[in-house]
Amino acid sequence: MAKLRVAIFDFTDCEGCQVELVGLREKLTEIADQVDLVRWRLTQERTEPGPYDIAIVEGTPITKEEQKMLQWVREQSKFLIALGSCATLGGIPGIMDKEKRAYWYKKIYGSKYKPRGLDAPPLSALVKVDFLIHGCPVNGDEVVRVVEELLAGKTPKYRGYSVCFECKQAGNPCRLIEGKPRLASTKQRESRRACLGPITQGGCGAICVSGGSACWGCFGLRQEANIDGLLEVLSKIADSDEIEKYLSMFLKRTEAYQKFKDKAKRK
Amino acid sequence: MTEDFITKIEGHGRLKVDWKKNQVTLEVAEGERLFEGIVVGRPATEAAWITARICGVCPTAHNLCALKAVEDALGIIPDPTTILLRQLLLSAQMIQSHTLHLYFLAFPDYLGIDSGLELKKKHPKYFRAALTLKEVSDEIAKVVGGRATHPTTTTVGGFHKTPSANQLKELKRGIQEALREAESTAHLAASLTYPEFKTNLLFLSQVGKKAHFNIYETVKTQGSDGTTWLIKDYKKMITEEIRRYSTAKFGFYQKKPVMVGALARLAIQGGNLNPKAKRFLGRAKIDFQNPFHNNLAQAVELVHFTEEALELIDRITEAPKPANPKGLTGLKRPKTGIGALEAPRGGLYHEYTINERGSITKANIITPTVQNLGSLEKTAQALIDQTKNLGKERRAKLLEMLVRAYDPCITCSVH
Repeated sequence: MAKLRVAIFDFTDCEGCQVELVGLREKLTEIADQVDLVRWRLTQERTEPGPYDIAIVEGTPITKEEQKMLQWVREQSKFLIALGSCATLGGIPGIMDKEKRAYWYKKIYGSKYKPRGLDAPPLSALVKVDFLIHGCPVNGDEVVRVVEELLAGKTPKYRGYSVCFECKQAGNPCRLIEGKPRLASTKQRESRRACLGPITQGGCGAICVSGGSACWGCFGLRQEANIDGLLEVLSKIADSDEIEKYLSMFLKRTEAYQKFKDKAKRK
Repeated sequence: MTEDFITKIEGHGRLKVDWKKNQVTLEVAEGERLFEGIVVGRPATEAAWITARICGVCPTAHNLCALKAVEDALGIIPDPTTILLRQLLLSAQMIQSHTLHLYFLAFPDYLGIDSGLELKKKHPKYFRAALTLKEVSDEIAKVVGGRATHPTTTTVGGFHKTPSANQLKELKRGIQEALREAESTAHLAASLTYPEFKTNLLFLSQVGKKAHFNIYETVKTQGSDGTTWLIKDYKKMITEEIRRYSTAKFGFYQKKPVMVGALARLAIQGGNLNPKAKRFLGRAKIDFQNPFHNNLAQAVELVHFTEEALELIDRITEAPKPANPKGLTGLKRPKTGIGALEAPRGGLYHEYTINERGSITKANIITPTVQNLGSLEKTAQALIDQTKNLGKERRAKLLEMLVRAYDPCITCSVH
């Protein structure tokens, strides 16, 4: 059987997800040996035209040129994977509202500059995407899992559990329930802290919470996430402004942010 | 549909050559993410988390630079162990970035292969060196920073979590192995034939207080023209220009193109390198008028920063555990702070104004590649001018190799 033709594309982003792919080291070369890697701008000059069996697309298509390119990639590809939060959610660049771009162009570049960017949408806002590998950055092992399932002829599935499941496995105290001891010597605890773990899809190994940061939801909403329930819990821990900051980090272009906004409006 | 972007560089750029006029322009096509707008209105504590995402190749450099800027504004002085841990993180960042650039982006041109992945079969020895350096530097970033890309443990005033004595011991063993591979990389880089090319290069590098090859605790910026600048004057030192063909601004040093990064650091503070790296520098015969030698300079730095990491591990092991970062309190009035450090590609500057509520009201970021773009374009023009006797294909290839030698980070430059 002929090897699957795989192409990797990148739009505007930090390219950290591609760096994670390189970080797979031997595993990357093993996978590369099983497929025909016909296109990957970051690491090779070889660039073959389509069609492609699998296209892996990183980044958010901010410019018109990129948005056109995405349409073409979609037409040429049997299975299109969005790689990383910029591609799956709009990511950090998605924090910037479309309507506010003009103001910031003027402020940052001055009035003579002719902007190229239109907006920072997730790929799915423009084309049909067959699978989302979330993460800022992605977890390399998750990428391996998805690609290996595709190579075995299976359709990959999403993780059916939230970050909380992996966070408990990692032995972290729950930010939402327990808070963190202020001083190791006393039992006095800081107030509870916000976290988006409960509505966020697992697969990251709760890496941010394990490091002491919050979960800001970069792995995207899990299926059947109880958004209302979390908003209720958060409203007892943080003020509305703080909750907005949490939900806008990666999830600004999702149902979760919309629900929060609608609730805030009703108040 | 094909994209005519230069391959094997970080981000999207093209060199447009008008072969009739022998004229070259450097087009940058990356979309504008507007980071200096994204952070405004958000808590100062988020600056490091968000701006790490400017670049996936040097996220730790942005993360630490943002922390320094915010701490400068809030008047927070981190304890000495925190600073040692950050220096270790930044050394690992240098090794991560230089390894990726040399083995996956630059060396293939010199080894007759297209992709770094081909090293596995064609040059297994180099492949092992690349993998060891990548693995060990990623491991330092994971153990100290929480993750290989985009740190999770770093915060204003210190660390959420610090490595145990056992973890440090494990790291040390890895770094000792990495040092051997860094040396073999320096040997390899010294054995390659770089294009013969000479042009006048002006350099800038941040330097520390003491005669130490400092990249984290920098206090001023020094030019190869003999001038020194206080960090707070960075905007007077570097001015940015808008180009109609680029989404990145072009930075100039006193209106002149300037080169920053490994070659610049060695030109300005090479005398302060660690012993093994210094010996390589003595033997490598680096030509500071040949930008292709930036690759060689990066390889010498690989040795330096691996030596540095070893020394830092020892110092951290002996140091007291850092204090827990204190919670932030509000400011009486708005304050502005500047953070600066040497990132893999050169001097990086972050500046934030923070209001009474702890929110960012203004941000300015100047990245190394912004400073390098003007020099890169000028040097590309010089290369075109000096190679009129060569065929078009060879000249185009040399131009691509020149761009890679500068190791531009286009995503950083646009931000």
